[in-house]
Amino acid sequence: MSALAQIINAAQEFERSVEAQVRKARSDTRFAGELRRRWRKIRDGVPTIETPAGLKLPRLALPQTDEPAEIARFVFGDGLPGEFPFVTAAYPEMYLQKPGGSGQQAEVEEPTRLFAGLGLAEDTNRRFHYLTQHQHSIRLSTAFDGPTLYGIDSDADGVLGKVGEGGVAIDTVEDMERLYARFPLGDEHFSVSMTINGPAPIILAMYVAAAQRRFGRSVIPKLRGTVQADILKEVQAQNETIFPMEASLRFLTDMAEFTTTHMQRWYPISISGYHIAEAGATPVQQAAFTLSNGFAYVEMFQSRGLAVDRFGPRLSFFLDCGLDLEYVALGRVCRKLWAIGMRDVFHAGLRAQMFKLHTQTSGRSLIAQEYKNNLTRTAIELLLAYMNATNSCHSNSADEPFTTPSEEYVRLAAHAQAIVLEESGLFKLMMNTLAGSPGMKILERALEEAILNEFRQIDQLGGVLAATELRYQRSQIQTAAHRYETQINDGTRPIIGWNRFGDRSASLPDVKVVRTPRSRQQLQINRLQKFKRTHRDQAGRALDRLSKVVESGGNVFAELLNTVEHCSLGQITGRLQEIVGRFRPTM
Amino acid sequence: MTKLSRHSNTRSIRRTPRILTVVPICDGHDSAIVTINFEFARHGIEVIYLGYHRSVRDVVRAAIQEDVQAIGISSYNGGHIEFFSQVLRMLRDEGAADIGVFGGGGGTITAPDVRVLKRRGVDEIFLAGTPLESIVEFVRRNYSKPRRGIARANLDGPLNDLELGKLLTAAEVRSKPSPLARGPSTTVIGITGPGGAGKTTLIDELALRFLNSQARGRLAILSHDPSLAAKGALLGDRAGMVNAQQDRVFMRSIGTRGKPGGLAAATRRSVEILKHGGFGLTLVESAGIGQEDLPFARGVVDKQVLVMSPDYGSRLQLHKIVMLETADVVVVNKADLPGGRTAYSELEQRLASNKPRPKLIATVAKRHRDPGVDELFKEVVS
Repeated sequence: MSALAQIINAAQEFERSVEAQVRKARSDTRFAGELRRRWRKIRDGVPTIETPAGLKLPRLALPQTDEPAEIARFVFGDGLPGEFPFVTAAYPEMYLQKPGGSGQQAEVEEPTRLFAGLGLAEDTNRRFHYLTQHQHSIRLSTAFDGPTLYGIDSDADGVLGKVGEGGVAIDTVEDMERLYARFPLGDEHFSVSMTINGPAPIILAMYVAAAQRRFGRSVIPKLRGTVQADILKEVQAQNETIFPMEASLRFLTDMAEFTTTHMQRWYPISISGYHIAEAGATPVQQAAFTLSNGFAYVEMFQSRGLAVDRFGPRLSFFLDCGLDLEYVALGRVCRKLWAIGMRDVFHAGLRAQMFKLHTQTSGRSLIAQEYKNNLTRTAIELLLAYMNATNSCHSNSADEPFTTPSEEYVRLAAHAQAIVLEESGLFKLMMNTLAGSPGMKILERALEEAILNEFRQIDQLGGVLAATELRYQRSQIQTAAHRYETQINDGTRPIIGWNRFGDRSASLPDVKVVRTPRSRQQLQINRLQKFKRTHRDQAGRALDRLSKVVESGGNVFAELLNTVEHCSLGQITGRLQEIVGRFRPTM
Repeated sequence: MTKLSRHSNTRSIRRTPRILTVVPICDGHDSAIVTINFEFARHGIEVIYLGYHRSVRDVVRAAIQEDVQAIGISSYNGGHIEFFSQVLRMLRDEGAADIGVFGGGGGTITAPDVRVLKRRGVDEIFLAGTPLESIVEFVRRNYSKPRRGIARANLDGPLNDLELGKLLTAAEVRSKPSPLARGPSTTVIGITGPGGAGKTTLIDELALRFLNSQARGRLAILSHDPSLAAKGALLGDRAGMVNAQQDRVFMRSIGTRGKPGGLAAATRRSVEILKHGGFGLTLVESAGIGQEDLPFARGVVDKQVLVMSPDYGSRLQLHKIVMLETADVVVVNKADLPGGRTAYSELEQRLASNKPRPKLIATVAKRHRDPGVDELFKEVVS
């Protein structure tokens, strides 16, 4: 039986097992007594918090019941925070502000993430330093420009206008050194996240090489961070694929093998529903495709011989959170299905069962017309994200529909998170205030059923890889996107300021747009060409060595660490494409 | 020397606009343009879709080869001022400044950008929220007029892409034989088969092998796609081609415009032109065909390749495919599918009685460096 079919069965089996426990709690008095005792202990163990106005409340909200069947339903069906199946939360303690003591504070990670990337490496470096000046732990999230995302050089034909637009331009290991200059790369309070997919192994190799140049070889096992590297979602939704799927997946697995062995603090892939949702998928499709992609990666890494308990804890997820009702519970259901699949099908231990979730508010929900409304949209989405006990979150800037966010709106977006988490008492006091309501339970049930139905479709097509080749996910996403547009056009999906209460006479805002000046773009090209001249003699040999590794089936990532010392991103992509071919878009 | 003035000839036929649509390099946002393409085709516009992540050079080359009236660019990833400007500049440099340029792209193109772009010669920018009907209306209103013909072409010397493009347009209109039907001609291979068998991918892989097999020669591709009842068409073969979009390939997409059987009324005349156009090899791809169709029956091509996929149904179906009686080469593409081996042996038996016996080749065109495609390439150039 295919893995996906086994997961569907396991999810159903899990429901039956919960119901069995509930029945047992009703009929077996000894079991009921045990449950009651355990429940009392759990309740007594919950710390008390106090609202600023002086009301005393429990930190964790538990069902108000002494009825053994209800206790069983919660303990086995939802689980306490940090306990299987993690419906409540992946970790026991989240968003808690511990009073005083900086030593304690280090244990609690600030969940705020800010995405940045613009111009040249040093421009983004400056922005990073500005953003993190008051943060205790430094978490840098990096956006790359178009040429970098497509693995081509800044001096390639006709890309000049794209250099440094919408993200940072990276061509060589030297750019990578400039990008993270003056940051302590090996420090335990430092981590980077790089939003890159097709060329992810090459870019990560540049990062490792840059770190090595500054701190020596010993820094490698200390490096913390993540690359997105989610090829399946690229083929299904985002179109930033540069090699054929099979070759891309092999390079990815090579990279995962290397990081699992030598960089144990590194997250080699961020399994992403965000772009699936942004391309038009419904919330259910987002969850179903992302989870099934995740399971496909697990199968792939396992068949490479990697142990699930070594790489499993290093898988993380990235979901979109929009304004649709489904988002009230989507993250909760994902945590549950992931845990069941990992435990019951892949036999993973506790840490690999945890669905570690990064959320970003929806970019698609933001519009250019009367764009300050976007502040409200993002605030609601933030609330939904934290109601799902996301482990970290990025809030979009209101000016994103037209530009790389300006500092003013980046600041407002960051403050929105601080208002939700620090100013409001919603999450920092009682961690799961809104969980367990009848509405949320109904949603959880409906979502789970719909997600499992999607799994069935994918399984019938022969699994995730086969379905992807048959364009299943892609066409489903396109159909959903079309429906969304139709709903906006006929008004059944109201968008305030656009198809409802819109000021037809209002023209688009004349906002100040951040763009990379031509002189900066030229500077990037000059630097790249100088690098190519300097390494002219070694580049060919380095590429030939890389070719040999590719042809002989060796670990390409390990060799890339050498290649990037002498070759640019575009040179490496070009050589790899000669050997494995180029990605052919499916229409 | 032949004087080609198309003004009077083309006006009556080219009432439907023929345009090229594309998403710029380093940009994969194709969902808007895909929707718009269908809308265009539905409203009688012939659309050649070049796909996403395409360079300025790819865009201008395709526009000239396809002899379109306009280029529509859908840009979401920034850098649009540069991209549009470079397209305009290159069109001017290539003597094709009469090809119109319009575009759009959500919120990333700001009001000041629109002013700059229009000053530089872009006809129109559609901002987010523009109803599809107004885009269709704009194209029909502005790009229905035929472009200037070439006043004169030195038909004795080698033609450039611009001249060739216009000559092919003229051939779609005039029923006279090609003025080029003299001089040396090159091999023409006809590639046909049911829709979805992978003909386009196969041709793209053949193109790669052709380009690698010699340093300078050029390849011509004439690619047919069906026109819709409304006379519009979505000619999308270029979008799936990753190897054939380069200077050494001349590609022309052609709508069947109501003619059944996989080819167009102008096919023979177009092939005549390409055949004498100085190419090393010419590939003609039919639209997807049915069981009775014999698109290349009347000697249009030198060799006929039938491409099938293993999902043809029951074995009996093979006896209904007339093309199996005349093909010189039969290809079972997607041979890696579960039914691949069955299909190969059933076809082997089906073809056993043919005289001469056609060559049967199993291919997996989507696989890079597929040995089956190597074999097919050897077969078509031999």
